[in-house]
Amino acid sequence: MAELLGTFEQATLLAVWKLAEEAYGRAILRGVQSALDRQVAAGAVYATLDRLEQKSLIVSRLEEGTPVRAGRMRRYYCLTAAGIKAVNESRAALEHIWQVAKWPLESKV
Amino acid sequence: MAGGKVATGVEGMTQQGPPRWMDRLLRCSLPARDREAISGDLLEEYLEEQAPRLGRMRANLWYLRQSASFLSNRSFGGPPMKAALTWMSVFVVVAGVWLASMENILKHAGYGERTAIAACIAIQGLATLLVLFLDGRLAFRALVLVGAASLAIFGVTAIKRMLDAPHFEGFVLVISIALIVQSVLTFALMLRTRHRGTV
Repeated sequence: MAELLGTFEQATLLAVWKLAEEAYGRAILRGVQSALDRQVAAGAVYATLDRLEQKSLIVSRLEEGTPVRAGRMRRYYCLTAAGIKAVNESRAALEHIWQVAKWPLESKV
Repeated sequence: MAGGKVATGVEGMTQQGPPRWMDRLLRCSLPARDREAISGDLLEEYLEEQAPRLGRMRANLWYLRQSASFLSNRSFGGPPMKAALTWMSVFVVVAGVWLASMENILKHAGYGERTAIAACIAIQGLATLLVLFLDGRLAFRALVLVGAASLAIFGVTAIKRMLDAPHFEGFVLVISIALIVQSVLTFALMLRTRHRGTV
């Protein structure tokens, strides 16, 4: 099994997957905030995207920018097969870990 | 998503978007590869969501916070040597300002000369931070390396003088060691990394 993903990485990958063709930086940032139900610093999301790309779990491409962003390019992200596998493995690992206990945990003391 | 406000270029951006200096700060703190895409994303979010919802002043604060998040990610989330040099530079700036302030409060003989040295120490720390995050131009980097060499010489001299002096001064030892470490880290990092716009 490959290295397990952290919560933030999983939220980022799932946001990319959910957004599909519309997965560019700003939309992913909003997706991660929505998934984690809190404000998230843009720097943290872009650093995670960069790390995930280095791990080959996502790939990116540049496309034309819109007038509202002063013509600045948009970078779109897409999950790779390795990315999908990593997310699935992380979920499976979590479920495996929780097989020994019933959620929510109750104190044994 | 709120819409309607459209920036049509650099001029439009300065009229409706975040202040120009904030945009420059953000762009400088980004790696060249993502400069356009990320600054475009934040500009879009600023114009379409934050400014209409929060008003310009709070939206500007939001924009500044986002820029800071890139700076902190690049410094403290980056390679360990860069993080160490960042912390050391911050310490050197604080030490320089503190030394200059104390000299001016106590006003012992020769305080003017020592204040100037303390100011140079603080400026060197600031210049190193600038090279780390904002300006990677070769001439500026060379200047910072010369400054780093001066810091090392000053640090060694200060330790030597302190050892010869009749009484021990702990803060001189701490600051002198910091100057030497700062110098070594500056040389190690800047000579190791190639010129890529930023370190």
